Amino acid sequence: MIGITIVLGIILFGIIGPLFARDPLQLNPYHVAEPPSSEFILGTGDLGEDMFAQLCTGTRNSLMIGAIAGGFATLIAVLIGGIGPYKGGLGDETSNAFTNVVMVFPMLPLLIILAALFGGGNASMFLVATLIGLTSWPWAARCIRSQVLTLKEREFVNVARMSGVKDRKIVITEILPNMLAYIIVVFVVSLSIAVLTEAGLSMIGLGPDPSSNVTLGTMLDFIGTGSTQIALPWNYWWAFIPPGLVLTIFLVGVFVMQSGMDEVFNPRLRSV
Amino acid sequence: MKRLFTHPFVKFVLKKAVFYLIVAFIALTFIFLIPRLMPGDPIDQMIPPGTTDEGRLRLKAELKEYFGLNRSRLEQYISFWANLLQGNLGLSMDFRPVATVVMEKLPYTLVLVIPVLFVGFFIGNWIGARAAYIKGKQSEAIYFTSILTSQMPFYWFAMVLLFLLAVRWPIFPTGGTFSPRFIPTLHPPIDVFLDMLPHYGLPFLTLLIITTGGWASGMRSMTLYELDSGYILYARQLGFRKKKLISYASRNAILPQFTGLNVNLNNLIGMTMIIEMVFRWDGVGLLALNAVRSRDYFLILGTFLVTMVVVILGNFLVDIAYGFLDPRIRTGREG
Repeated sequence: MIGITIVLGIILFGIIGPLFARDPLQLNPYHVAEPPSSEFILGTGDLGEDMFAQLCTGTRNSLMIGAIAGGFATLIAVLIGGIGPYKGGLGDETSNAFTNVVMVFPMLPLLIILAALFGGGNASMFLVATLIGLTSWPWAARCIRSQVLTLKEREFVNVARMSGVKDRKIVITEILPNMLAYIIVVFVVSLSIAVLTEAGLSMIGLGPDPSSNVTLGTMLDFIGTGSTQIALPWNYWWAFIPPGLVLTIFLVGVFVMQSGMDEVFNPRLRSV
Repeated sequence: MKRLFTHPFVKFVLKKAVFYLIVAFIALTFIFLIPRLMPGDPIDQMIPPGTTDEGRLRLKAELKEYFGLNRSRLEQYISFWANLLQGNLGLSMDFRPVATVVMEKLPYTLVLVIPVLFVGFFIGNWIGARAAYIKGKQSEAIYFTSILTSQMPFYWFAMVLLFLLAVRWPIFPTGGTFSPRFIPTLHPPIDVFLDMLPHYGLPFLTLLIITTGGWASGMRSMTLYELDSGYILYARQLGFRKKKLISYASRNAILPQFTGLNVNLNNLIGMTMIIEMVFRWDGVGLLALNAVRSRDYFLILGTFLVTMVVVILGNFLVDIAYGFLDPRIRTGREG
């Protein structure tokens, strides 16, 4: 419950925040690198950006990238981790072997070179989200596979199969409804991983184009255009502490939610 | 000889070797394909800006000829492998072989990855196993801290540490591998080591804290799960001492942690690359960043290739170690 509240809180902040904040890309030349004040709640950046406005819009954009990437990852995971094991046999073995092979790939280095070669720091948010989605599905595929394997052997599925219900109908009426909650959890976790990855990429200047997009990652940009590189030695703590805190709170929220859901799916953990 | 190959442990190792060879084959083929599937022509990126149209055309034809891009895909693929097996990864933009450049930086990355992997594993599991047994406020505090450290963005944590321990209270240097104007080849090894040590502190600490948190929270829940099982309840009723109970439970709880070493190694290498960029630590990660910045094509692919090979080798070693530890695999008997 605590986890869900935190996650919803951050999502609400991302939706409502930008409505009340100023334009995050607008520079205020008379207010450069000011500490938090009543006019600028979180102070201003070294070019006079309103940090609070950046934080609001950044949260929204980061969540949007996360949702697109998480959606892609979940979709691929359901296709690869769901259909194979249900059919069993050779299809299952190839899809599982494929997942295992891709699991070994170091994803962050792979993403760094893909982002560098495809985007080079001027990518759109959608491109970055797609790249993240395409590289982050193996974990989700594994989760979904194990869930399908256990569901497949449950009595009600066996009964349906023995009474001659067609495969497609079993999947739609028996398996999917039971998987839905699980898929949503996988989606939210994929989303959180994608948000984390995007911020990491943007931080080294390989995320979406920072001159037109604000995300939590571009706010932390340490290496690309390097606004944080100035903020760090000059003690502008307000420029880089808040976005990291929002990320941390969100990720901890997702983790707590996920372990709560694990207890639902795996009753033996419940007594612990 | 025949008995050697039928020995279960040798069989296990061979099976793993075949699997990782397949992984390496797919990964390297993927590296071959990336520049060829990319939108746009990589050759265009190599031509310096400001070249006239005519010069551009001539340079393009010249470069295509030079890189063998006018041959068939199959021929290109075969020569890709031939070059690879000879350790030839092409030249970087400063006309040095990519393999040499990456190999120079690799030790600096490994010197971070390997100690962090093992020290984090031992400390994290030790904390986790104990946190599972003690009850009350202390246990919850440990649990909360381990979740917080394992979930927070590692690059942000690196920045916060940099801010606190190098800017606010300058205990550590702000970055780099050596002090400014210190040339390692001109000094005896002991001086090199002593100069590197303070620079090593922050990246090591960052990575260690993050990985330890992950191990600790995983180990805590695994041990709790084991402490709840029948054999422990029985042993407790027989009046076994606390220490004995923990050692029984954690021995079973640690096996799944070992399988986690694979995934952890993969994450750790990616994390190390970014941490290197934050602290300007002169490893493969910083090299990759510089390659990306100067659009040094072969160097970008070369750093990824070497990282890939290191990850595959590391995974293979971890799997063998696991097989050695798990008596079911070592002796070939099912449990």
